[in-house]
Amino acid sequence: MKLSAKDASLNSITTQVLKLFLLLATLTCLSACNVTHFEKNNAISLAQKGELTSARTAIKRHYSSQGKNRLLYHLELATYFQLEKDYQQSNKHLTHAKDLLESFYTVSLSETALSQFSGPTYTTFHGQKYYRPLLHVMKALNYNALAIAQPENRPALQDSALVEMRQLNLYLEALTDETGGYNPSVNDKLTNQIYAILKPILAPKALLSNIDYRDDAFAHYLSGVINEQNGELDSARLQYQRAASAYENGFAEQYQLPPDTTKQAYNNLARVMTKSGGYEIELERLKGKIDPQQQNHLSQLTVIQNIGVAPQRKQFNLVLTADHDSKALVMTPIPFGTHAERQAQIQWFQMLFADTSIFDMIQNYTMGDGSDVALGFVTKRLPLGGLWDNAKKVGLIDALQYGARISVTYLAPPKERIKSTEIWVNGQKHSQLHPFHSIELLTVQNALKNANTEIQLALTREIVKAISAQKLLQKTGLQQHEVFGSLAKFATSAVNAVTAAADTRQWQSLPAQIRVAQIPLPTGEHNIIIKTQLNSGRVINQTEQVNVSGQMSLWQTRTFIDAPPQSKSSTSSSIFNLD
Amino acid sequence: MKKPSNIIKLTPILIACSLVLTGCKTTEVRRVDANQEVALSDKWNGKDSQLVSEAMINDMLSFPWVRDHLTKEGTRPAIIIQSVRNKSHQHIAVDTFLNDLKRSILRSGQADFVASADLRGEIRNERKDQELNASLETQNEMGQEQGADYALSGTINSFVDEQGGSRVTFYQVDLRLIDMTTNREVWNGQKKIQKVQERSSYGF
Repeated sequence: MKLSAKDASLNSITTQVLKLFLLLATLTCLSACNVTHFEKNNAISLAQKGELTSARTAIKRHYSSQGKNRLLYHLELATYFQLEKDYQQSNKHLTHAKDLLESFYTVSLSETALSQFSGPTYTTFHGQKYYRPLLHVMKALNYNALAIAQPENRPALQDSALVEMRQLNLYLEALTDETGGYNPSVNDKLTNQIYAILKPILAPKALLSNIDYRDDAFAHYLSGVINEQNGELDSARLQYQRAASAYENGFAEQYQLPPDTTKQAYNNLARVMTKSGGYEIELERLKGKIDPQQQNHLSQLTVIQNIGVAPQRKQFNLVLTADHDSKALVMTPIPFGTHAERQAQIQWFQMLFADTSIFDMIQNYTMGDGSDVALGFVTKRLPLGGLWDNAKKVGLIDALQYGARISVTYLAPPKERIKSTEIWVNGQKHSQLHPFHSIELLTVQNALKNANTEIQLALTREIVKAISAQKLLQKTGLQQHEVFGSLAKFATSAVNAVTAAADTRQWQSLPAQIRVAQIPLPTGEHNIIIKTQLNSGRVINQTEQVNVSGQMSLWQTRTFIDAPPQSKSSTSSSIFNLD
Repeated sequence: MKKPSNIIKLTPILIACSLVLTGCKTTEVRRVDANQEVALSDKWNGKDSQLVSEAMINDMLSFPWVRDHLTKEGTRPAIIIQSVRNKSHQHIAVDTFLNDLKRSILRSGQADFVASADLRGEIRNERKDQELNASLETQNEMGQEQGADYALSGTINSFVDEQGGSRVTFYQVDLRLIDMTTNREVWNGQKKIQKVQERSSYGF
């Protein structure tokens, strides 16, 4: 039956209106997908208010001990139990988490295949490389705290803390074997300086080349402290040596830590060398690097301040469409959220994906028209050229009629919110706490490093999903009908969009920054106050009576800077001392 | 191009099959002999504890100190376990290992064990309670404890060598027996265990 010209025109207008409606609906759907998990973030908000039991309940509601997020279930609960001073429970969960991390060495092929047709959030969360050192450090601190609480089991518990440090050492040795670690530069100083100046100009993408997690100077340092505390001077010496070397040769620079970190590690190294004896030549070589005033035989108190909360991984969306004129696939970001979030999303896109390099601009100019060059700042074009016909043949171009959602993670740029942190001992200002580790920067750098792989995988996955859906529509014959065909295409695009969520999972209760100070004190009880001054002018005070005994005592505290001023968690919770 | 189309058609079937296969695995519990080794990893396990303790005690009792003591004192030697420190990279239940050691010695019938300091304290409290509450015939006297002749102590160490999915773990247990009168080391034993673990990078 042939349609009249009037009917055909009406049908065409109806189809155009429907297409417009569907496109708007797709965009709305994409924006709606840009939400963060309420429960997960709620847990850390509750913890900041000091409601740790409720935080644990929120974690248990959100994650399962058997499900794909079982690693996070154990890691998050371990943190909250530690803050509640239930060190035994905390270690139980950390043991489970460590076993899981080891088991993830074997990659499941069935799960990898499944993720190609669903999304990364449908697969088991395997954690990040930097979780293991933090896990061992946390577990060792728990064992030390238990040793204080249970004097009858003290030797066995102290041995358990050392076992954790040995496992940490094995892990870091394997990591440095794999990555090369931090080593003194072989090039001369001037060459390095010139290279550092030219690098951003010559190859902006190369800026991402030195942000690997290569070794963990802070973990080495703390391992040295725990070994020294337990009289294992030889192990302590090795760990301090590794910490000093890593801080000096790049760790401090990579995570924007002050030079005090290197100096402190060398001071500790010199101290254990003096205690052990027989290192006169080595001590002579260290003379320029250490502070002679710190080389006394008083007991040492190491204060560890875990500040803030690691930055949240968030997701932002891009729409993948096919540009028939320039025969290219085009990715366009759809910023959503608050003004700051939208800005961060655009900056992340421009920094990592947008066609902002000279090569990209020339490519856009040669493949499209002048406007593509200008649009390069807000789009990423993948020119297909001769492959366009092949893409059409396999149904890719048709499958992208309503666009496909590509979802990737981003992190808001870190903000320095802490002005200073001071230690007051028995009413007198003693010294400053210096940043020894920035988990905030570590998280951001890790996300930057993985950004390209992530978007490539997301792109491949969404293209495979779109083509598969297209093939299915062809088989059902729905595609022949213009209106139903459009509806069916929209429906498949929407289903694909819903499953395209980015993987924003992470160990959320980690601190943003770890600050350390080591102060020589006579043995006995001391009143210690940590004053954290924020840039906003607010001062958070944390007080504790600390018993300094033996050669090395340790006091750890968590400071939540977003907690309401009257909240107990921002003032004195989660503090324990070890001696 | 026929191949990509076939792959696309087959992939959902492969995924479905893999899901069915993985979904078939259910929890299963079996009873096995406590002496049978079930090694799921290269960690120190019950069998290691048993093997090391048996080997150590056989070695310890083959040294001349037992015969010398019997000749000199006319009684079986009494041993106290001081400490066995875990200096390995694995969490090892040292108490379980020590109990295996004690059982092996007691089974041999050639030496006795003296209770540890904690246990002695508990038993002394019990004897004090007996003085107040037990009948005279059933009371045990204070001051009749047997003193230890020898002190047993030692360490468990380990080394690990790892490359990719292969890991070699080497455990070394060192024990020594000291004569409590003379501080002479009358026995020093060593037992080594080496384990190799291979892990696959990919699995189903």
